[in-house]
Amino acid sequence: MTEIDAIDELLRAHEGDAGCSAGEPIMDQYVEIELRGEDPSERFPGTTIHLRVCSGCRADHDGVLEAARRFGDIGPDPE
Amino acid sequence: MTVERPVSETADRRAAAGDSCSRRWIEQLKPDHSRHDEAIARLHDVLRRAAQHELRRRSSLGPRLAGPELDDVAQQCADDALVNILAKLDDFKGLSRFTTWAYKFAIFEVSSKLARHAWQRQPPSREDLEPGEMPDSLTPRPSDQAERREQFVVLKEAIALDLTPRQREVFVAAALNEVPIDVLALELGSNRNAIYKNLFDARRKLRGSLAAAGYPLTDEELSA
Repeated sequence: MTEIDAIDELLRAHEGDAGCSAGEPIMDQYVEIELRGEDPSERFPGTTIHLRVCSGCRADHDGVLEAARRFGDIGPDPE
Repeated sequence: MTVERPVSETADRRAAAGDSCSRRWIEQLKPDHSRHDEAIARLHDVLRRAAQHELRRRSSLGPRLAGPELDDVAQQCADDALVNILAKLDDFKGLSRFTTWAYKFAIFEVSSKLARHAWQRQPPSREDLEPGEMPDSLTPRPSDQAERREQFVVLKEAIALDLTPRQREVFVAAALNEVPIDVLALELGSNRNAIYKNLFDARRKLRGSLAAAGYPLTDEELSA
């Protein structure tokens, strides 16, 4: 990484970043779009930008995605 | 920063209407349903397993929790997530499957409890919050051209002079010293969103300072 890249990376602040609170209520919808193999950035462009930058929200997103993939759609009735 | 507004929710609602599994959860979690207690117990078990898996996943990314302590925290995450889910059950609009919606609460609890655990064990030091030496990747080397060295000087001055005290504190801790944003929020008595906004504003201000001094980082900043 060049010095310019390092500073650009340190100061990354992208237009359209929806912030943390915008992504929390729609995180489940965002993940399900991904699970369907579709692109969530068309529906939630600001959160897509945000997840590239915010490590906290990215960790939450990865966790919800992992849980939905691993445990799937369990019903309330005994198996 | 904006609120995300989906272009169309019709397809999701249609999908939810056909999602019998989600409908059964909602029906059985109602207090007057004959299977209410069983549904609560099953949901708690689902949440506990999701939290346990997530705690293990995050432990693999750094020194975190293990053994009985991890199981205990997973139990607490499931307890608190269940309370939140039951309180917000009427907010579930069927825009995703019920379980995906529920997993979200468990994962948010994992984040919250891991941050508190990290903060209690190793809170940020005063040095983490105050401007000091720049990280190695941002420290000019003798071989750097004079222009590059000048750019680093401008950045360091801008951090000291152009940011508000809160922006400086957050930028130094989160961006320069890599204090996790949730741990920093606890230390400063704030929340993730507010800290992120401080960080975002600080970054934009510093980009502006560099551009104003003749060191734009992008073509857009060059022409601004």
